[in-house]
Amino acid sequence: MLGGTAPAWAVPSFARQTGMACAACHTVFPELTHFGRVFKANGYVLDNLQQVQAVSSTRQEMLELAKTPALSIMAQVSYTQLKTRLPDVSNPDAPGLTQNGTAGFPQQLSLFYAGKIAPHFGAFAQLTYANDSGTIAIDNTDLRFANMIILPRKQSLIYGISLNNNPSVQDLWNSTPAFGFPYAASNANVSPLASTEIDGTLAQDVGGLSAYAFWNESLYLEAGVYRSAKQGQTNVLTGAAGPLDGSASNVIEGGAPYWRAAYEYDWGANNLEAGIYGAEFKLQPGGGTPLQGPDNRFNDVAEDFQYQYVGEEHIFSVEGTRIHEKMTLDASVGGGTNATDDLTTDRLWATYYYRRQLGGTVGWFSTTGSTDTGLYPATVTLPSGSVCACGVVTSANGSPDTRGLIGEVNYLPWLNVKLSLQYTHYTKFNGGSTNYDGFGRNASDNDTLYLVLWFAY
Amino acid sequence: MSSIDRRMTRLAPALAAIGALTLTLAGAPAGAQEQAAVTQQAEDTAIGVCGTCHGPEGNSINPMFPRLAGQHAGYLVRQLKSFKEQTRGDPYAIAYMWGMASGLSDDTIDALAQYYAAQKTGPGRSHDPATIARGRDIFEHGIPAQGVPACAACHGPDALGSDAYPRLAGQHAEYILKQLGSFQSNMRKIAVMHGVAQNLRTPEMQAVADYLESLP
Repeated sequence: MLGGTAPAWAVPSFARQTGMACAACHTVFPELTHFGRVFKANGYVLDNLQQVQAVSSTRQEMLELAKTPALSIMAQVSYTQLKTRLPDVSNPDAPGLTQNGTAGFPQQLSLFYAGKIAPHFGAFAQLTYANDSGTIAIDNTDLRFANMIILPRKQSLIYGISLNNNPSVQDLWNSTPAFGFPYAASNANVSPLASTEIDGTLAQDVGGLSAYAFWNESLYLEAGVYRSAKQGQTNVLTGAAGPLDGSASNVIEGGAPYWRAAYEYDWGANNLEAGIYGAEFKLQPGGGTPLQGPDNRFNDVAEDFQYQYVGEEHIFSVEGTRIHEKMTLDASVGGGTNATDDLTTDRLWATYYYRRQLGGTVGWFSTTGSTDTGLYPATVTLPSGSVCACGVVTSANGSPDTRGLIGEVNYLPWLNVKLSLQYTHYTKFNGGSTNYDGFGRNASDNDTLYLVLWFAY
Repeated sequence: MSSIDRRMTRLAPALAAIGALTLTLAGAPAGAQEQAAVTQQAEDTAIGVCGTCHGPEGNSINPMFPRLAGQHAGYLVRQLKSFKEQTRGDPYAIAYMWGMASGLSDDTIDALAQYYAAQKTGPGRSHDPATIARGRDIFEHGIPAQGVPACAACHGPDALGSDAYPRLAGQHAEYILKQLGSFQSNMRKIAVMHGVAQNLRTPEMQAVADYLESLP
């Protein structure tokens, strides 16, 4: 999914904790350097702060607490302009056009606890106010226990456990979905219909536990399992926070396995990573039907790579990923929905920065897959329950195919302040280039100009 | 006190106990046992923490970060203390090392310095022979016409240095250049080196740096 993805972050509390500048861990936030990846794998615990300590009478450590809490604040203030205005369907009796140009003040505002909690135990935890929902909610969160041992041949082995709420938020490279490009995206744009499950669809809706090992700062292996952990969902009978019932939708049946393998090779000021990752989700559609019987299965397998050159004057990186999804839709089949579908998302982007101050990214994206008029329908049902003949977020031909380019120019007067101008151009949207929705809207009508001031402190 | 240093401190009571026990049982000096454990811990820290940038044995592969293998302990101690005291002011010292060294105790600094001093240096890296010859000439004889003294006078004929002057043999050329630039701009304030660097032109610096990197 392109629009509406939660952006990714760099957190000044890490800098306060380590005493090191952002540049140690980031090329330009949020892209991590090799040192940043090792810091993350180690559980965000490296610190150089004064600590409050406690020991038992047997000298067992009971507490090690930084005198400065690892708190940070992040804000995004944005302006979004679509190439062509959207229809106004807020009053079916008085159709018109929406205002074009959306000011997000703020688009989002986040509070982080990012840093050490105890020896070997650290967190990247985020609470976000978003202007589209007008609410405060838990955002990307990764709690880690980690340890490092030195092997006989002077090689390090970092191992640990991550408890997190978004598959791939725990990953160390920026080529995987949670911290991939675009690092900031408008929440006032038009998102295409299709995206794979692992690609942010379940973000903040799940709780997962995974174990990982990072050998010699090069070979990374991880395996874990995710379960639905929906926010704001109560059991209809008890009013309690669970168990989940048929009023919830897309509920994971049992545990969804997640896996990851990656290898990074470093030479000079360069590094190259290649890896694979994936998950298998068995989802009960719910949404008014009981959470039992046939399910929908989504088998996601992805490849990714990342190349970085991190010099003093020049920084250059290229990242990419391809996600294949095989769907077996036993629960949803019929009424236009196929028994099986495929969906493939590709993304490739290149970033350059001069002195970490001025730079930009050019990215290409593509999603292609089976035509399915049930999953990618020609009509849209509004929150009022009425079916709207308005297009925009529909597909006239039932195809999910979407393709385009993103260009972005960034200026950072300070390492923690970024001003971005981003333009997204669609050559195909929901299956078509022209009149993709059957109501006369072209793919390029969804082209989006996005200006964002993004800072953290 | 940093997390690096706390790990060392945490060991101390246990080490003292082990030392006392060993003394009783085997007659070995407790201090030696304790020292051995501290040395081991410093080695783990050097490999697992410092090693991310400087390489597990101090032979960094990234030219942004200096090679520390075979560097003189006395020099390393002074640098770590200057980071800790925030008196060494080149950009990377500020961005990386002021934080990393801020909580290090003198014992940890000593143990880390000893670890790197004891590591084997790598082979030199080949460069254009003409540049190396020019660099060697400057290193050995200076450039009298520009008032540049021979580097070898302090750093030794083979650039192996001493406790007072750093070893330069085998150092990344890019790192040497960056330091000469910092001496020139006085971001890294060393009067002698400021004088030397001020009189050096960029191609001359490059030649010396290439020569030094070519040395084993």
